Amino acid sequence: MKKSCIAMLLAGGQGSRLYALTQNVAKPSVPFGGKYRIIDFPLSNCANSGIDTVGVLTQYRPLQLNSYIGTGQPWDLDVSDGGVYILPPYQSAGEKGSWFSGTANAIYQNIAFIEAYDPENVLILSGDHIYKMDYADMLREHLNHDAACTISVLQVSLEEATRFGMMNLADNGYICEFEEKPKHPKSDLASMGVYIFNWKKLREYLIADEKNPESSKDFGKNIIPAMLANGEKLWPYRFKGYWRDVGTITSLWDANMDMLSPELINLYDPDWPIASRSPVCPPSYTGENARIIHSIVTEGCEIDGHVENSVLSASVTVERGAKVVYSVLMPGTVVKAGATVEYAIIGENTVIEAGARVGTAPDGSDGWDVATCGPDVHVAPGQVIPAGAMIYSEEEA
Amino acid sequence: MSKYHGIIFAYKDAPEMGDLTRERTVASLPFCGRYRLIDFALSSMKNAGITDVGVIMARDYQSLLDHIGGGKAWDMNRRSGGLRMLPPFGLPHSHQGNYSGTIEALNAVAPYIRDIQQDHIVLLVGSLIANIDLSAAIAQHEAGGAEITAICSDGPAVGLNHHYVLDEEGFVKEILLYRGDDATALKSLEGYIIHKDVLLRMMDEASARNDWAFHKHAMAAFLRDGGRMDVYRHEGYVCAVRNVAQYYNASMDMLKVENRRDIFPASRPVRTKTHEEVSTYFGEHSVSKNSLVSDNCIIEGEIENCIVFSGCRIGANTHLKNSIIMRGVTIGENAELSYIISDKYASFSDRTVLQGSEKLPTVVPKGSAI
Repeated sequence: MKKSCIAMLLAGGQGSRLYALTQNVAKPSVPFGGKYRIIDFPLSNCANSGIDTVGVLTQYRPLQLNSYIGTGQPWDLDVSDGGVYILPPYQSAGEKGSWFSGTANAIYQNIAFIEAYDPENVLILSGDHIYKMDYADMLREHLNHDAACTISVLQVSLEEATRFGMMNLADNGYICEFEEKPKHPKSDLASMGVYIFNWKKLREYLIADEKNPESSKDFGKNIIPAMLANGEKLWPYRFKGYWRDVGTITSLWDANMDMLSPELINLYDPDWPIASRSPVCPPSYTGENARIIHSIVTEGCEIDGHVENSVLSASVTVERGAKVVYSVLMPGTVVKAGATVEYAIIGENTVIEAGARVGTAPDGSDGWDVATCGPDVHVAPGQVIPAGAMIYSEEEA
Repeated sequence: MSKYHGIIFAYKDAPEMGDLTRERTVASLPFCGRYRLIDFALSSMKNAGITDVGVIMARDYQSLLDHIGGGKAWDMNRRSGGLRMLPPFGLPHSHQGNYSGTIEALNAVAPYIRDIQQDHIVLLVGSLIANIDLSAAIAQHEAGGAEITAICSDGPAVGLNHHYVLDEEGFVKEILLYRGDDATALKSLEGYIIHKDVLLRMMDEASARNDWAFHKHAMAAFLRDGGRMDVYRHEGYVCAVRNVAQYYNASMDMLKVENRRDIFPASRPVRTKTHEEVSTYFGEHSVSKNSLVSDNCIIEGEIENCIVFSGCRIGANTHLKNSIIMRGVTIGENAELSYIISDKYASFSDRTVLQGSEKLPTVVPKGSAI
């Protein structure tokens, strides 16, 4: 069945800079913002934009991601003429088969999947960005400008520009140059890693790139520069809204804190719901001694302590006398009486015993950072986990 | 496929519930922040592996249909079998009101019951608040060899009408009708495990005599004729809500941790339709004491001893106490509300003062603007 646009979601990365949190799970399935996992954002954006066919490319630790996505029902992606598909690397007859060696190679290896839907255009997404975006609007611009590729760009400050892939524009508004992390940026338009390609064109470039042994088979490093070199029309789609890459502990913590500010990103907007798969829990119980200030709390929590400026996922327990400040508590974590958690990210089902201390408030020193306890960690009574520390369970899942 | 088929009675109305059941059956009454009463019966079935289930309804069942949908939340949307919603069919045109009794309700769906593939049927009431371990009840039924096993409680239970008197062997000797809560006998949860043929025989015999009452007529006749009825004792919280005060008290019971552990055990989760997709925000000056709060709320004011369903908004400097507010209720700023039960999507403007009484909380109908 012919489709105007299908999406390919790159979800295979390890997320190595989140180490403790992605030891056993792929980055897109890391819990985020109380109710969600990171991948809920691009999946919900697809559903809300009317894109009903999504291939999710997995590679690193896909088990939890696979079961999380399932049939795609929470995102209304369980449709008969499309749907959400998990696409792991596979072996063809007579071949050894290989892992995805780059973002472009991952799509190359799934040309057959895309061809089955015979789409005019293909939307390429990352599984580690937090944002609300109408891809249908981007597709309209892409078609209006007859572009071979449309790249979603975000205006950033020139200091920030040195960390992104930057797009330089010609006078006619099309992209004329792409610079990866430039020392002296010439523009302030950063690529968000969201692309819409004309599928016929992309197919040609993927096949050509695959034959080039020098190529690192990456969209930003290889495909986009090759298209520019050949004079293809590349259009910048200017996105004005909240967008964060959550590839590091600091950015993950920051973005979670942003969820407390509806003026940055409004999660309560009924017109653009972010959907998630979540177990049915009873409502949260707040006890006689609970004090919850400027925080978000998800169902199944039992809170009788002090919670401030924090993000609590489902089924978190904060006992009487415990204190949780500027922290992110993932599903099932337990903070026992008298324990203090400050400026920390606590992974799923971690237990912080009575009187323990995790993290400290910023003291202005260079070494300070958010403390991280990986999933299933047991922090002993009275144990102190200093700021910036990252502890994790030795057990492999 | 389970050897057991489920039937849930969701046709009963409760005149004493007033506005709370004006547009819904008791079985679809919202409860404990996110559930409907029928979730308990459906989840009990599901947790015992019973996914072929018929739900008998008579009228005002739109909200029930809306809630249950295809039965997805209870894994009852099966290709073969699964959930079947059973509105009245084959009733004479002259029949206007509700079913006069359980036998009439069963007879109204008699073709469905005759077509049931399984030999055994589990009957549950759709408006009972109890997390019944049907696997244990079934195991006892199979071991005991009685034709019927009745589910009952000898613990504290509210609102149960009927009681069983046992003989020396522990089988039911007699059913005492409408004895209130003070009887010393075992309290009936009106749930039964029964052989399909026995049920069909009881339906035939009772309707031949124009007797529509299940306990008063059919069960009494079954016992009189020497039928063997065993009892399964359910341990744990039970409440059958029939009026506003009972509904309010049962809701407040859920603020006690021991009742929640009992009603929502991890081993037998209560499932329900899900729609909330965002966590609840507690503001800078919010206070939330001894309360249950669902997702997708924004709480800026102070709440105490409350049950707050999803999608509610509570403005700054508002004090909400001893109250139940259902889905989508909006309360403005500087309001003072106590002992109210607000139905869905009601809105309270700034500085509203409304005080119900502890004995009889004030019910605010669905969609009211105050």
